[in-house]
Amino acid sequence: MLRVENLTFAHPGQATPYVFSFVADSGEITAISGVSGSGKSTLLDLLAGFLEPTGGTVALDGRDLLPLPPEARPVSLLLQSESLFDHLSAARNIALGLPSRTEKAQTLQRVADALAEVGLEGLGDQQAATLSGGQKQRVALARTLLRARPILLLDEPFSALDDETRSVIRDLVRTLTTRHGWHTILVSHHADDVEALANRRYVLESRRLSPSGETKK
Amino acid sequence: MLTLPHRPLRIAAAITLAAAIAALIALVLWAILAAATGSGSSASRIDIPHLLRMTSIQAGLTTVLSLAVGTALAWSLNRLRFPGRDLVVGLFASAIVTPGMVVAFGLLSIWGRNGWINQLSEALFGVSIGNPAFGLSGILFAHVILDGAFAARILLARLDAIPAARLKTGQSLGLTAWQRFAIIDWPTLRGTMPGLAAIIFLLAFTSFPIVLLLGGGPANQTLEVAIYAAVRQDFDLAGAVRLAATQIAVCSAVILAASAMGPIPTSLGTSAAPRWRDAAPARLLQALVLALCILGFALPLLSVLFDGLASGLGSLLARPAFWWAAASSLLIGAASAILTLVLAMLLAMGRGATADGPLRTLLGMPAYAYLAVPAIVLSLGFFLLVRQLGIAPATAAPFVVILANSLLALPFAMATLGPPLEAIARSRGKLIRSLGLSGWRQFAAVECPLLGRDIGVMLALAFCFSLGDLGVIALFGTQDFQTLPLMMFRALGSYRSNDASAIAAILLIGTIIAFVGLPRLVERIANAAR
Ligand SMILES: Nc1ncnc2c1ncn2[C@@H]1O[C@H](COP(=O)(O)OP(=O)(O)OP(=O)(O)O)[C@@H](O)[C@H]1O
Ligand SMILES: [Mg+2]
Repeated sequence: MLRVENLTFAHPGQATPYVFSFVADSGEITAISGVSGSGKSTLLDLLAGFLEPTGGTVALDGRDLLPLPPEARPVSLLLQSESLFDHLSAARNIALGLPSRTEKAQTLQRVADALAEVGLEGLGDQQAATLSGGQKQRVALARTLLRARPILLLDEPFSALDDETRSVIRDLVRTLTTRHGWHTILVSHHADDVEALANRRYVLESRRLSPSGETKK
Repeated sequence: MLTLPHRPLRIAAAITLAAAIAALIALVLWAILAAATGSGSSASRIDIPHLLRMTSIQAGLTTVLSLAVGTALAWSLNRLRFPGRDLVVGLFASAIVTPGMVVAFGLLSIWGRNGWINQLSEALFGVSIGNPAFGLSGILFAHVILDGAFAARILLARLDAIPAARLKTGQSLGLTAWQRFAIIDWPTLRGTMPGLAAIIFLLAFTSFPIVLLLGGGPANQTLEVAIYAAVRQDFDLAGAVRLAATQIAVCSAVILAASAMGPIPTSLGTSAAPRWRDAAPARLLQALVLALCILGFALPLLSVLFDGLASGLGSLLARPAFWWAAASSLLIGAASAILTLVLAMLLAMGRGATADGPLRTLLGMPAYAYLAVPAIVLSLGFFLLVRQLGIAPATAAPFVVILANSLLALPFAMATLGPPLEAIARSRGKLIRSLGLSGWRQFAAVECPLLGRDIGVMLALAFCFSLGDLGVIALFGTQDFQTLPLMMFRALGSYRSNDASAIAAILLIGTIIAFVGLPRLVERIANAAR
């Protein structure tokens, strides 16, 4: 279980700090909604280690994550865009999720498996710049698979996609989260994303998170 | 934000390097100062106030004219679309690497006493137009050709980067050509002007080969040429040192003023698609400006090619001394290009890896070293230093020439590599960091392929600078150790103008090949490695 308690932070010039508290379970999607500018991306930056909080705790199964630098945190990121390096092929992008010492044959095999798991068999050689928005998000998810980090942070990952692609990627996130036991934190201001996916919901308002709606399993 | 990948090694390497360069410059300055105090102020014919006045007038005029020409040219190129436009843009971009000697020589052959224009005018009207390629007018002409084109290339990049939305708004408001320039273009260009003006002023203030060739004696010297004359002709070291100190003081003041006014963008942008054509009279003016600029820029170069290939090439190629000089030029060019790449890469990577303001300033400093301590001064300092260490200048010469040329190319190299490296760190820093990529992987998978073309451009710049250099080699060259520019200069001095024009043509061809070919070659290599 990911437990965040009184995680405190203020951007320069902000008089009242954000104070975040919430819990997220393994294999579940925890949705966080809130109006634009309410601080959703700030929360994800704190969890990923890009911002340093002034107080509070973040613990995964009792282990304190705050002392870890971003690269050492058990966290994968999926942003709205810029999750891939456009100049590399899909396969090279995915392979960046493996340690650099990984054997070539093993790398090829695992990349192919990951591509298959996200439904992109055979697209490995295509350059990332030429992939469609939905394909890019799948490639990024495939890399997340190889990294096998228990926390997945999603910042508006569906907002650049059309309705049909959206629901396909949504299903993929759902499946992968359950299958791999991820703690998935989804930030979105689309009510239907939240409706379709969330096991647990919070609303970010006045710099605080409050539980909303019922918890479904 | 902690979004920059954590790279202590890169930062440490860059700091070490910056410190080493600072120490080297300090050593050079110390050698100059020591020589100055050691030799006392003997009777010297050097009139520093006069030199300062003349040089400032020349550099000031060059700056104003070059900015005016550059703005007009950039404006025309930004508006006009025609087949071969990329080629023309490339032509003007090459101004930055065209050796000053070659341009000066081309000007003489068109506008000089025995130039085409005079011959034409005498044949048609029986009158001579004199020699506008000589003296102040000649110097200004040559400087404006080179620096105007340089300014145009940088200003054009700014104009081409104006957001499409702003243009659409302007177009829907029906702005006239003049309003468009005043409301949309000028605010974009204005920020670039002070930095650009400072660079052009410094280039003109420290100009060496053009002034040496076209100046025609003490009336139009720059400090740089005066230093050379003091060392090589009058053996007046004390005088040379006083000149060097003056030069450093003025250049540092200009740099300080310029750096207070903002950054100097030097990266080459790409052109946007055509969207909005001005009214017919404005387009006519643009075509006229462009035609004049192409003529002014290309004619001297074409005449260098024509003269050089028509005369004396055969006899030059038959001389072993030519091949030795050519080999020296190539080796020195290649070595200093590679050294520049290593220095600039280390400094720029270190700088891109930190968000700490003062540290970034510190790591940016080596780029300015050359502008404050120009070729001749650097060369003089090394010359004195080498003598003081008891090494024969001839032994040290190749190494000093390579090192000095690398330092000279460094500001342009850092301006080429710095922005893309920083852009990668800023836009993909989060991703690189959260993936935990090692520094080497960041370099091999991300930076190297993305920078392929920039690295090629940088290598070409450094190679061409060094290929065309006369300022450093002028003090260190000997009978046995000469480069093509020095050989050309000596040929001119002994009235072997056939040899000189042949060498000028070869230098020009070498420059073009390197400038066009190297970026493509390196980009291909970088892409193949993907
Ligand atoms: N580096 C910063 N310095 C100062 N203020 C910042 C900084 N980054 C964000 N903010 C402010 O913090 C607040 C929260 O920003 P944040 O990006 O977290 O919002 P968000 O909920 O993700 O919004 P959106 O839905 O539009 O993405 C905003 O008011 C923003 O202006
Ligand atoms: Mg946001």
